[in-house]
Amino acid sequence: MPLLGVIFLSTQAMTAPGELLNLALNAGAVAPEGAVLLAMLATLLVDLAGERVAARWVPPICYLGLGVALVLLALQWNAPLEPSFLGAFLADNLAIAFRAIVALSTLLSLLISWRYAEQSGTPVGEYAAILLAATLGAMLLCGSTDLVSVFVSLETLSVASYLLSGYMKGDARSSEAALKYLLIGSAAAAVFLYGASLLYGLSGSTSLETIGIALLTSPTPLAALALVFVLATVAFKIAAVPFHQWTPDVYEGSPTPVVAFLSVGSKAAGFALALRLLVGCFGAFDTQWKLLFTVLAVLSMTLGNVVALAQTSMKRMLAYSSIGQAGFVMIGLVCGTKDGFAAMVLYMAAYLFMNLGAFACIILFSIRTGSDRIADYAGLYQKDPLITLGLSLCLLSLGGIPPMLGFFGKIYLFFAGWADQQYLLVVVGLVTSVISIYYYISVIKMMVVKEPQEASEIVKDYPPIQWKTLGMPPLRIALVGCVLFTAVGGILSNPLFQWANSAVAGTPLLLEAIATGSERALG
Amino acid sequence: MFGPLPIQAFLLLAALLFCIGVWGLINSRNAVRVLMSIELMLNAVNINLMTFSSYLDGDLIRGQVFAVFVITVAAAEAAVGLAILLSLYRNRVTVDMERFNLLRW
Repeated sequence: MPLLGVIFLSTQAMTAPGELLNLALNAGAVAPEGAVLLAMLATLLVDLAGERVAARWVPPICYLGLGVALVLLALQWNAPLEPSFLGAFLADNLAIAFRAIVALSTLLSLLISWRYAEQSGTPVGEYAAILLAATLGAMLLCGSTDLVSVFVSLETLSVASYLLSGYMKGDARSSEAALKYLLIGSAAAAVFLYGASLLYGLSGSTSLETIGIALLTSPTPLAALALVFVLATVAFKIAAVPFHQWTPDVYEGSPTPVVAFLSVGSKAAGFALALRLLVGCFGAFDTQWKLLFTVLAVLSMTLGNVVALAQTSMKRMLAYSSIGQAGFVMIGLVCGTKDGFAAMVLYMAAYLFMNLGAFACIILFSIRTGSDRIADYAGLYQKDPLITLGLSLCLLSLGGIPPMLGFFGKIYLFFAGWADQQYLLVVVGLVTSVISIYYYISVIKMMVVKEPQEASEIVKDYPPIQWKTLGMPPLRIALVGCVLFTAVGGILSNPLFQWANSAVAGTPLLLEAIATGSERALG
Repeated sequence: MFGPLPIQAFLLLAALLFCIGVWGLINSRNAVRVLMSIELMLNAVNINLMTFSSYLDGDLIRGQVFAVFVITVAAAEAAVGLAILLSLYRNRVTVDMERFNLLRW
């Protein structure tokens, strides 16, 4: 009766609220989320004072909130583990790593969005507040260890994402993307809930750990059904084929900075959820979900990378490429070894920088020219060397060309897959990587090789480059930062390896799964 | 008059309701009707949760607490859904799903 004990403790502690905070709830674990929440509230308050005050004060408030959150996360690293909120949240190293990726992706997305919002004439205050709400949901999702908290944080992230993707209210495409995202997303949430209710019925508990133990003792066909329901939602969140149909539409219709956040922050939270649910809760169905995820990974890598070849819109191409990238990360999930999990964390961190760097370049190009078509990038190197260089480096890194950061992430994933004898996945991964290099290089070729007279009309009347206008300096900082990190990150990959490995080492959930996995391999 | 109903009766009702919701989701052309179908699916989940809570969970009422959360979140989702639909209606003057084709599926 540990729960009753805790309730007894908390009733005793009623007299001293501070003690309740320390003893029973252990609320310090969500301090980073608290910082984000405070920043969100402050943003909303400042927004009341009018457009001009908001434009002046919202950016520093957001930077402060997210910066404090990142510092608090760093302080939590390797701290002694205690479940908070009666077992609804656990700040293990896995959660901290993914929460840091989410917070950092929000920070970078915000840096690149001020000018875009200014130019499209949308209010910045509300935009920042909704983006921070999405961040809050995503960060909580990374550490949730109870079906109720998983559901609530998942929906916080989803509902805020729907609003963000429909943020351009006057644009029919944006609204349409939002409606499609909303309908598919809420259907996925309902399916997840149905699976969750079955799990609750099977185990009599909503805690993932208890459910995992209950399933281990009596794996029934009904539990397999619940696995399928829950897995469908996870696959939707990480945009794995065949649950990817919303991705290209939403990416094409939504405002570009929002897409930058969705492609990294939302996806990172989805992978954290996948680890918690599949590794932590469905240990009894290890072979089944690994088989399903092998199929999903092969389909994602193949379809994502092949369809990306045929795209003419930059955003749509990156949407399909992100589906393919998610397929690569799934290799680590299927392995279930220490290297596999560490490679997942490492690749997500690398993906954060290279993908946001690419998005920063695309946003800069669309701010200057108003176009997203790949053909319009022809001959860009003569007019705008910075975009050309940045986009080239980021795309090469996404393709996995050495010595970029993406190469090390990818090689580690393939190495982990090969060591775990996932030959099919690794071979498909290698072949589709080559395909992906082809379409990444063709964009670079478009920008660099074309003669001046072959340049597109848009590049021919390219506006003079200037960085003085409101919101441009932060965009430049984000762009240069991401590109630099992508380019020289390969040299610094050793600390990153260590970081990813200690993220796995500080997570009891993953260690347990690794131990049972190696036992099974021996026996 | 009939005595206590078995747990299967409620689970079957929930499963049926969920299937009706999925059917409506797939077959409706009117976007408002799609939103309503999703509500049906969520309510099926609530029936499931309440059933398990009162038949299996004893003193602890975790299923009922969960159901309260589901109802709350469903309300938020419906509000956002209708808001998005309204903004789309202002742009396109239709709620027909077949005509939302600016983006290829």
